[in-house]
Amino acid sequence: MSENNDSHDDGHHINYRGIYFALLILFLISVAGPEVGERLGLPWITLVTAFGIALVKARLVINNFMHLAWEKRIMKWVLATSVILMFLMVAGVAPDVMNHEGNNWENLAAKEAVQRGLAEAAGYSDGEGEAEGEAELVVAAAGFSAATSYGQICATCHGAGGAGDGIAGAALDPAPANFTDPAFWNDPIRTDNLRERVLTVIRDGGPAIGVSALMAPWGALYTDDQLEEMVDFVMSFRPDE
Amino acid sequence: MAHVRPIATTRSATGIPTARLAVWWILASEVVIFGGLLGVYLMHRIGHPEWAEAASHTQTWLGAINTFVLLTSSFTAVLAHQAAEKGKGKEAAKLLGFTILGALMFLMIKSYEWYGEIVAGYTITANNFWSFYYTAAGLHALHVIAGAIIMGFIAVDAYRGRELHRVEIIGIYWHFVDVVWIFLFPLLYIAK
Repeated sequence: MSENNDSHDDGHHINYRGIYFALLILFLISVAGPEVGERLGLPWITLVTAFGIALVKARLVINNFMHLAWEKRIMKWVLATSVILMFLMVAGVAPDVMNHEGNNWENLAAKEAVQRGLAEAAGYSDGEGEAEGEAELVVAAAGFSAATSYGQICATCHGAGGAGDGIAGAALDPAPANFTDPAFWNDPIRTDNLRERVLTVIRDGGPAIGVSALMAPWGALYTDDQLEEMVDFVMSFRPDE
Repeated sequence: MAHVRPIATTRSATGIPTARLAVWWILASEVVIFGGLLGVYLMHRIGHPEWAEAASHTQTWLGAINTFVLLTSSFTAVLAHQAAEKGKGKEAAKLLGFTILGALMFLMIKSYEWYGEIVAGYTITANNFWSFYYTAAGLHALHVIAGAIIMGFIAVDAYRGRELHRVEIIGIYWHFVDVVWIFLFPLLYIAK
């Protein structure tokens, strides 16, 4: 025990039971967070209860169970250096990982992965237990509904109401098109032969008519008839003039 | 026993007992390993909206039960440390035994959970989300296994009243394993 009798172990009394109960209460709040957030319609509550509480719990354990609060200062610096290095690494690669295109480059593999993944997700929702094997790229004709497909794929960026306010679209520049804005429909780039232009963008992506490359091509998902239905659905957002 | 203690175990220029210094160094490297892994997961999760669908299939309740198990095992580990501080070797050994029990319970629940996922077709090669899921949780589970084995040896020594300072050392490591799970739980199970 001689190695143990340094100043670290003297002079502080920790209520371990109290810390343990505090950890359990925080844990219960983090589990209840998403439910509460959903009922109140405030999804950000989940972020606070999940990650905010994780930080508080980690701090309680590190300071009181690992006794880092009473450890010699040099050890705190060593650990802090590790944490800083980790954040530097993450911050250094974040622009490349989180964006899928920049001024002079485009991450085609990532874009394709997003498109393939969303298509698979849409396919899965048609029936349970389809996890095995390849997902059908063309949404089964029988269960097809343009509104459902829009909700599963387009709404992520364009928003459920077509106002360009989907969750994944928030960070995009240029922002996703707002179908409820008359200016969108009156843009000279698509006024000439409007229907054909909308169909081309859905099938071949934004660059096909010279608009944002962030609009991916979705042609692989639909049959020709389904594409027409998608065009009808998107055009239904057009405000009456 | 004519056993001579190596100088490295008794000498310390930092004023921190050498064994504890060593475990802190290990943890400093672990911070980069787990931190890097989780950081990369988070970046991909934000950059890939399609992961939301895969993430919605993780079993929150099993993750939650495991969180409770690990928190409790951390509690028994720190109580073991407290007992060792007072020279109560047998008490410390018993509490380390409970901690090992927690580790085994955690691993059994984890196995049950993975079995369910794999049978449903969500394997490590299913897509990138599941690759991260199995890599992160798998690396963490390896730490649980290593910790439980080392704890077994330390508990036997502690029962005989030997090397009681090691109870604190394994405890620090164990709490770190708990802290990693504290972050894995919201990342993989809560934020869907």
